[in-house]
Amino acid sequence: MSVTAPSARAIAEVSSPPVAGGWFAYAREDAAASIVVALVALPLCLGIAHASGAPLTSGLVAGIIGGLVVPFLSGSQLMVSGPAAGLVTIVYASISELGGFEIFLPAVALAGVFQIVMGLLKAGVIKFYFPTDVMRGMLAAIGLTLILKQAVHLVGYDADYFGDTAFDQENHENTFTAIAHAFGATHAGATIIGLLSLALLFLWPKIPSAKIRRFPAGLFVVLLGIGLNALFRALGSDLMVQPEHLVAMPSSGGPLGFFGAVVRPDFSAFANPKVWSAAFTIGLVASLESLLSLEATDRLDPWKRTSPPSRELVAQGAGNFLAGLLGGLPLTGVIVRSSANVNAGGRTRLSAVLHGIWLLVFVLLIPGALNLIPLSALAAILIHTGFKLSPPSLYREMARIGWWHWLPFTLTIVSILLTDLLVGILIGLFIGGGVILLRHSRSPVLIPIGPPGSVLQRFILPVHLSFLNKAALANMLESFPPGSRVELDARRTAHIDYDILELIHTYAGLMKERGVDLRLVGVPSLPGGKPSGH
Amino acid sequence: MENYRRIMANNREWVKKIVESDPGYFDKLSKGQQPTFLFIGCSDSRAPAEVITGTEPGEMFVHRNIANQVQPADLNVLSVLQYGVEVLDIKHVIVCGHYGCGGVRAAMAEPFHGLVDYWIGGIRNIIRLNRHALEGMGGDEERFKRIVELNVLEQVYNLSQTPVVQQAWDKGPRPLLHGVVYDLHSGLLQELVVGLDSNKKAQEFFTPQLRMSLHGA
Ligand SMILES: [Zn+2]
Repeated sequence: MSVTAPSARAIAEVSSPPVAGGWFAYAREDAAASIVVALVALPLCLGIAHASGAPLTSGLVAGIIGGLVVPFLSGSQLMVSGPAAGLVTIVYASISELGGFEIFLPAVALAGVFQIVMGLLKAGVIKFYFPTDVMRGMLAAIGLTLILKQAVHLVGYDADYFGDTAFDQENHENTFTAIAHAFGATHAGATIIGLLSLALLFLWPKIPSAKIRRFPAGLFVVLLGIGLNALFRALGSDLMVQPEHLVAMPSSGGPLGFFGAVVRPDFSAFANPKVWSAAFTIGLVASLESLLSLEATDRLDPWKRTSPPSRELVAQGAGNFLAGLLGGLPLTGVIVRSSANVNAGGRTRLSAVLHGIWLLVFVLLIPGALNLIPLSALAAILIHTGFKLSPPSLYREMARIGWWHWLPFTLTIVSILLTDLLVGILIGLFIGGGVILLRHSRSPVLIPIGPPGSVLQRFILPVHLSFLNKAALANMLESFPPGSRVELDARRTAHIDYDILELIHTYAGLMKERGVDLRLVGVPSLPGGKPSGH
Repeated sequence: MENYRRIMANNREWVKKIVESDPGYFDKLSKGQQPTFLFIGCSDSRAPAEVITGTEPGEMFVHRNIANQVQPADLNVLSVLQYGVEVLDIKHVIVCGHYGCGGVRAAMAEPFHGLVDYWIGGIRNIIRLNRHALEGMGGDEERFKRIVELNVLEQVYNLSQTPVVQQAWDKGPRPLLHGVVYDLHSGLLQELVVGLDSNKKAQEFFTPQLRMSLHGA
């Protein structure tokens, strides 16, 4: 466990990006991280499939495709893809509306085609418009969500599915009632394993021996959990963790059983218009979630690599196309697994690929062994990741840099915590966009140069003048008393909206009548001649 | 000391006269200035800017030095120019020389006048560059007048090349540059160049031939 945020220590540890094409440049780190990611991903895949009302195998298929297909096409080094909690509501509704999972699968494949088309049309550029404050709020909220949601699993209260991120849970509780209930229903054995794991994860980087430190802490706590539980069982103790608090891989009856359990798509459903509208919704929402995850993962990258978003849409689309054909849930880039990947020291896309291989190996070869893993150990890994995503220093910094940063940040966190990731982020984007527009419309439209009290008041116009500045500019122009001399210099302005141009030229006439000497320098004339009226 | 006292007495009398005819006069002037002209003239006591131009206080921004120089590295004149053009929004900049200028005469003689010899080095160049034409002229007085005129033109040219004027002309035809000579004998101003308000007009006026005779290039 080495890096999460680019602290001085982290930068010292990972000094420079790997050379291009270095698939195996960090094989050891990537392999270690991939095991942790796969162990975390496993119950998430199962939990999300369960909550979506889909066969459990579909979650695993999506997870495996997210590892074995998407990373090869994606431009991201660290993002992990798989079934997403953010899609649960949509998937659940679509399956019941379409009347069966086999009819739903063609919609997933079609959604993938939509995504590929969007990617080829370069729709991914919207990634660059996610406001920083909202993205920071999103990461913090995910961190808090992990802490709050996983706290109940840490103490062995597994009423809700593992990996739920919505406030109103599948089981008609919400985040806070679940925590309250959990206090009355803790399981001592699970709690011991969970708390011990959590403590170990936090103390791991402080272990003096570098040799021990290099062992992936996440893997260690999982093995410790299995070991402790085996000990409890051997002792016949009440502390023994019951199967409902362990990973519950469906008993597939070996590789053939797994493939047999996978649902095949009903291709005749392509004729159904509802399939198309479901595909459209899924394609759109999955794309948004993937791009958000991509942006978030890029922000977590200690090497500050940036990933091409449109290429990501193509990669995700290919993944969903295959998922639809092979009986998987729709997948997206997922932040929890991606941040666990970063937190566990993943460096390149090899770790995402390996995570897919491990999932496949788990499913085919050792489904039984997985059922020995206490959920509370996995919860500890996610809570630790949550703390890394949501460190107290982040809140202090956001409070320090001003309310217009703090407001969208905080509102995004609150909305995500009280609704779910997707709805919350949309609220955050809406509010964040509003704050940005507000700030933009209040930004100075005329920048004074020259000393105050000059006979000639000289102003330069900002680099960019949009219609949002119209009211402010009109007020400013109104404010010059008769007899004043004003120079507006637009020679450094790269872009002026037509609205603004029209306003300036209209005022030029008005102000002349009013006895204001307005001199325009480098202000383009109106494309269609002067506006009527003067 | 008596001379000095006379100045103070004059001042009191002047104030009295002004306030009698216009009680608000000083109030108005103290509010601020919006002069239309910048006058760059010689320090010579016989060529007082406001008197010979008939301008009132508040109308003309004035800079005077020996032989009305606009030297490209003289922070004094450049500050006046920049403040005048960019802050006071001066419309006309007038370079005013005068016949019988002591500064020009000194440049025509051997250099032993002290510091001023450095100051008027530019005029010596003009004389050197025009030696031929000047030697062919009738008399000393005519030669002297011609050098005074060439000096004014050189300063107008220097003015046109300052960043302040160049930046202003980038924006529009303002300020206008004028070069005039004051005749101590008649009291008349003679116009040498009028209304340069753009690089185009400046180029038309300062032909290569004229520039050659002013600064050799
Ligand atoms: Zn003189």
